[in-house]
Amino acid sequence: MGKHHQNLLNNLEDYRKKAGLTQQELSEAAEVSRKSINAIENGIYVPSTVLALKIAKTLKCNVEDLFKLPNG
Amino acid sequence: MNNLIAMSYFKRFLIVFICGFVQIFYAAYLLLNLFGYSIEWHISNHDLFMFIPGVLVFVSSGILTASYYLGDRKNNNILYDEYTALRYYKIAAFGYAVNGIGIFILFSIQDWSNWNFQNANNMIYQIAAFAWLTFGILLTVFSIGDYKEYRNG
Repeated sequence: MGKHHQNLLNNLEDYRKKAGLTQQELSEAAEVSRKSINAIENGIYVPSTVLALKIAKTLKCNVEDLFKLPNG
Repeated sequence: MNNLIAMSYFKRFLIVFICGFVQIFYAAYLLLNLFGYSIEWHISNHDLFMFIPGVLVFVSSGILTASYYLGDRKNNNILYDEYTALRYYKIAAFGYAVNGIGIFILFSIQDWSNWNFQNANNMIYQIAAFAWLTFGILLTVFSIGDYKEYRNG
């Protein structure tokens, strides 16, 4: 697990690197700014459902692989 | 027209920064006058020029709104994404909260027992100066931070 938001744990950086994508490439595929990807990876920002689904689709995985609740 | 609507990080920075900077300039000018510091230079036509910060905000908001609705969809998904929007909301909410407290304090410190047109006029200028200073600083700092993040990550 990467750096965490208090409400959400995330694996985004690991999955992005496994997919061989830079933050810029992932942001272009998910149609958001690179700042957003950076903020999500660093646990600063919790993405919306739509953005989480777009990121998961780009990385060819499930949303649950990327994000987990702290107690779940 | 298309050039005006086509937005970029730099154009957005310029628009927001100019709005913020002009507001700080006007706030500083008013505060110097209100606190009785004599400066050699004065705005020549108050009836006309005191509208400049408001007109700038109005025009800038119009340009940004037009670029959001009429600009290139792919570009706008990145420029106006949800994380940026959240930060704008937070900064606006903070600005309104500070303004609310400031206006409450400004109302509280007025000499209501000797109320006259001069006092009323001064209070309007105090409120304008406070609001311009608050939002001017927020807009300027935010625009610089936003652009620096875009450039450097």
